[in-house]
Amino acid sequence: MFSSISLEKIFSLLKYDPNDPLIFSTSLFLFLFLGFLIFYNLLGKNKAARILLLISFSLYFYYKAAGLYFLILVVSAVANFYLGKWIAGTHRFPVKRLFLALALILNIALLGYFKYTNFILQIIADISKHTIDPLAIFLPIGISFYTFKSLTYVFDIYYDTLKPTNSLRDFSLYVFFFPNILLGPIDRAADFLPQIDREPFISKEDIGRALFLIMLGLFKKVVVADYISLNFVDRIFDFPLRYTGVENLLAIYGYVLQIYCDFSGYSDMAIGIALLLGFKLMDNFNYPFKAASIADFWRRWHISLSKWLLDYLFKPIQISSRSLKIFGNVIALVVTFFVCGLWHGAGWNFILWGVFHGTLMSISLFFKKPKERLYKFLRIYNTRFLRFFQIVITFHLVALSFLIFRAKDFQSVVDMLDQIFNFFHGEVFLQFAEKLPLILGLITIGYLFHFLPSRLGTWLQKIITAMPLPVKVLIFVIAIWIVAQFKTADIQPFIYFQF
Amino acid sequence: MISQELKKVILTELNLDDFDLQDETMAPEVPGWDSLNHVNIILAVEKSFNVKFKSYEVLRLKNVGDLQKLVDIKTGK
Repeated sequence: MFSSISLEKIFSLLKYDPNDPLIFSTSLFLFLFLGFLIFYNLLGKNKAARILLLISFSLYFYYKAAGLYFLILVVSAVANFYLGKWIAGTHRFPVKRLFLALALILNIALLGYFKYTNFILQIIADISKHTIDPLAIFLPIGISFYTFKSLTYVFDIYYDTLKPTNSLRDFSLYVFFFPNILLGPIDRAADFLPQIDREPFISKEDIGRALFLIMLGLFKKVVVADYISLNFVDRIFDFPLRYTGVENLLAIYGYVLQIYCDFSGYSDMAIGIALLLGFKLMDNFNYPFKAASIADFWRRWHISLSKWLLDYLFKPIQISSRSLKIFGNVIALVVTFFVCGLWHGAGWNFILWGVFHGTLMSISLFFKKPKERLYKFLRIYNTRFLRFFQIVITFHLVALSFLIFRAKDFQSVVDMLDQIFNFFHGEVFLQFAEKLPLILGLITIGYLFHFLPSRLGTWLQKIITAMPLPVKVLIFVIAIWIVAQFKTADIQPFIYFQF
Repeated sequence: MISQELKKVILTELNLDDFDLQDETMAPEVPGWDSLNHVNIILAVEKSFNVKFKSYEVLRLKNVGDLQKLVDIKTGK
């Protein structure tokens, strides 16, 4: 009786549950991953078995998040593999182009159907002033990420910068690879595929870096992002008019830190977990709030997406409209950031967020030279003083954009700004600090760690690397214990899942 | 090997006095050669060598060496 109940419980735990994906910060993932890692290492030099195990675990991981929709992932991988092969297999340019168009139609149709159908229906309903009931369409988690990942393969073959792989198995591993399937980084096929053939060599430095990244990611996600979201940010964003301007401002700062810790924390864990399997994924964040301009911000924030958009969308538009000179750049920027916004979600807030970034960058194009002349005239060009102000201004523009991104409607944006400018009540800050010291402490530590020299992170990594294995394990266990203390009753889903 | 002519066009466009441009040099390694400025360099090269590139040809360039090869092909060298 006891054993049958336990088995049933274990089975239901391992089954697909739409509300319970196997995210990295769950104890079930840590448990399964440890078991998987042991088998993965036991298989050692038997490459075929190792890859098969990795593909199976990846498919299970995705099944746990999307149920039977994992079949779409398989179909998408097979289709992109053959389209890549056909593009490379012909020397006739129009035929290459036709296959590329087919790949684009297929991937965009797939993404479009699952993600944007109801949004488009809503727009049609609004325009025609008729009621159209939304369709019951399930959004398979990670579809935006793995579609874009597969497209890098097809594009690079089209541009003749990548030779297609002959192995459907290897390509499938690239697409299914569980560390980055749900939330990126949107790694390049050109970087990943050659790693499959290599013997997985994991150096002492790799282990140190992997453990550091996993612990850092867990801390960012559970301790900072989840905690400040549940206990502070959400409350203010839900009812901004109930709070003073100072609380609204702190909620915006808190949200900016939350979305960064949430998303970059997941990326850190993905990169760390991949490292333990012998794979190096591309970096996804590089201290984005140290950016001195919006363009600089996009070189530091969600790097794998911004590089994707740069290479496969911005550059083609920019180059083909180069006769328009600066206006060609403007068109390319606005279109790219419109798509960037839309990629994040089917909602006007996301589109507005993207277009806001595109517009800011377009404006700065026109002011680049006059600004330089002004700075030189004021003798502040390339000075720390100027850089400080540029960072502060860029941060606040980014914060304003994330306010648009997060707010439930445009009225909330207006309300929050109105509270900040007309009902600030700075004295409330002291009460806030008294009542919610942990929230204030976490926000302060979060930003402090971000703005301290990046050497600090490297230094911590080196310390962990130098530790003997038992100490490493002990530190890891302590870190998990601390994280567990902060873990709220319900785990907050990662913000980026909805994209 | 990057020709003096191509080097001059690139450095003039970027307002640089000198920079060691090699075949393997990639755009982000050169001061000022960012994604927004890239198009100005392509336009300057097209104008200076009196050639017209196809978009596809420009998009597949990986480094300055590739650009040199493309210029050579277009100018019949």
